[in-house]
Amino acid sequence: MKHSPLRRLLSAIHTLEDGLLVLVLLIMVLLAGIDIVARSVFGGGVMWIPPALRVMVLWLGLLGGMVATRGREHIAIDLVNRLAPKAVSEAISVVTSAFAAFICAIVAWNGYAYIELAIEFGDIAFGKIPAWPLQLIIPFSFTVMALRFAIQSIEAVIKVLGKHPAAEAHS
Amino acid sequence: MSVLVPLILLLLALSGTPLFVVIAASAIWGFYQTDIDLMVMAVEIYRIAEMPVLIAIPLFTFAGYLLGESKAPQRLVRITDAFLGWMPGGLAIVALVTCALFTAFTGASGVTIVALGALLVPALQKSGYPERFNLGLVTTSGSLGLLFAPSLPLILYGVVAQQMSLDVAVSIDDLFLAGLLPGGLMLVALSLYSGWVSRKTERNHHPFDKTEAWAALKDTKWEMPLPFLVLGGIYGGWFAVSEAAAITAFYVLIVSTLIRREIPFKQLITVMRDSMKLVGAILLILAVSMASTNYMIDAGVPEKIFGFIQQHVSDSFTFLLLLTVFLLILGMMLDIFSAIVIMIPIILPIAVEYGIHPIHLGILFLANMQLGYFTPPVGMNLFIASFRFNKPVMELYRATLPFFFILLATVLVITFWPGLSLAFIGE
Repeated sequence: MKHSPLRRLLSAIHTLEDGLLVLVLLIMVLLAGIDIVARSVFGGGVMWIPPALRVMVLWLGLLGGMVATRGREHIAIDLVNRLAPKAVSEAISVVTSAFAAFICAIVAWNGYAYIELAIEFGDIAFGKIPAWPLQLIIPFSFTVMALRFAIQSIEAVIKVLGKHPAAEAHS
Repeated sequence: MSVLVPLILLLLALSGTPLFVVIAASAIWGFYQTDIDLMVMAVEIYRIAEMPVLIAIPLFTFAGYLLGESKAPQRLVRITDAFLGWMPGGLAIVALVTCALFTAFTGASGVTIVALGALLVPALQKSGYPERFNLGLVTTSGSLGLLFAPSLPLILYGVVAQQMSLDVAVSIDDLFLAGLLPGGLMLVALSLYSGWVSRKTERNHHPFDKTEAWAALKDTKWEMPLPFLVLGGIYGGWFAVSEAAAITAFYVLIVSTLIRREIPFKQLITVMRDSMKLVGAILLILAVSMASTNYMIDAGVPEKIFGFIQQHVSDSFTFLLLLTVFLLILGMMLDIFSAIVIMIPIILPIAVEYGIHPIHLGILFLANMQLGYFTPPVGMNLFIASFRFNKPVMELYRATLPFFFILLATVLVITFWPGLSLAFIGE
């Protein structure tokens, strides 16, 4: 099961996400450093760096959110998982994951509408860079999170029913 | 319907639904009911990219995680021990000071307990402190330092308060200044208690050693500039928070990977990913709660709550007392980041009506939340410590109890003595 094509696809996606996250963070650290040097040593900053840094914050936040969804590492009130027996908390997680998937899907759906509008009006982020490619991370990340929550809900259903090994749920 | 939906959402939140989902759901429900296009959710989320100060959050978090993974904690303990270890209760004070400094830099995310606890608990044990005291001390210290620059919760409070368009400006620099005395008070109170406990217990009480102090100083030559650069820079007004964060992240990255070479490339990737998971968790909550806040303010929720409270509470003293009780309960349930972004938009306008300064509110709010980190039954740090030291949570409940009451006393002082928070704020 470990080397099934689906598993490999999943791990490839994870590597890609991690790679993008690391890349954005590295660029951000370097650009932020360069910006300060440019401003303090050469007396003038590079025009496009501050807005680019701000967009990177959004990207890091949403990419980080996607990665956190993999292992359900989001901030939550953890009463049930700490106090209730495992079987109960698993049954509850069917509902909470399904709900999370539903809400993320709503945000994602409306996010795509937002992008369409941004393209139509030709919104500009900064300089000559259009806003929509930068905003695309919003619907994209919420789509990925919705899918992950949906898969987790299905996995929990299967665990509760106890009929199939959890590994099969990755379809 | 109007009662049922919030009730269901509350139930979902208590059952462990990610909080950003619950907040997003409440915003979506509010907008849906008032016929506002749900596209507004994306617009609000994109506002994350319009707040320059937020740059500080990923950069400080990354730098903090990197420091935690390097050998900086060991060096920090060594140098504090060399300079403070000779005092009565010296080692306990060393633990308190290092934890406070480390928490301020790493944003009170439990990193302190994980990174420093493993060093401090055995060291305290060897010096003859009772085990329960050591566990309690380290667990408590995991959130100590929250009120010192450049802690993330302080920054986040500033960000949220600035969104509220109050009459009084809430600058993050002012918050950093305001936290100095209250944070110092907590540190002093715990140090006095430690000194008292160590009367009989501390065995190898060593005198000040000049050679060791010099060696420790040389050992920390790369970390030494950091607190001066960041704290001096921020408190001295030379640079903004986001700039301090940029310098810190850049500097720590270079030192730990290229100069000291303590973090190999593969580990760097892991550190980056782990730190950004926390950033993602915080920013997602912030993003969606800007949407729900927007809706709530449009709907006049703070005014309604204020109207209700005002019927029963007329003076600010009673209000603060009730607020303290409320925040203690809140702190048990909610982590500090969610508490700030969810509750501040409601509490702040009400508190201002009672004549409480926004800066003072921020300090007392965070001081209360700091207690929440180790208030039974669900304080986060209790579980982190239980996991880290392999002790049952019940034992940590007992271990932290004396520390809890000491800090509760300081929280009351901070709450009812605004001057302590506002001493350095020029008005």
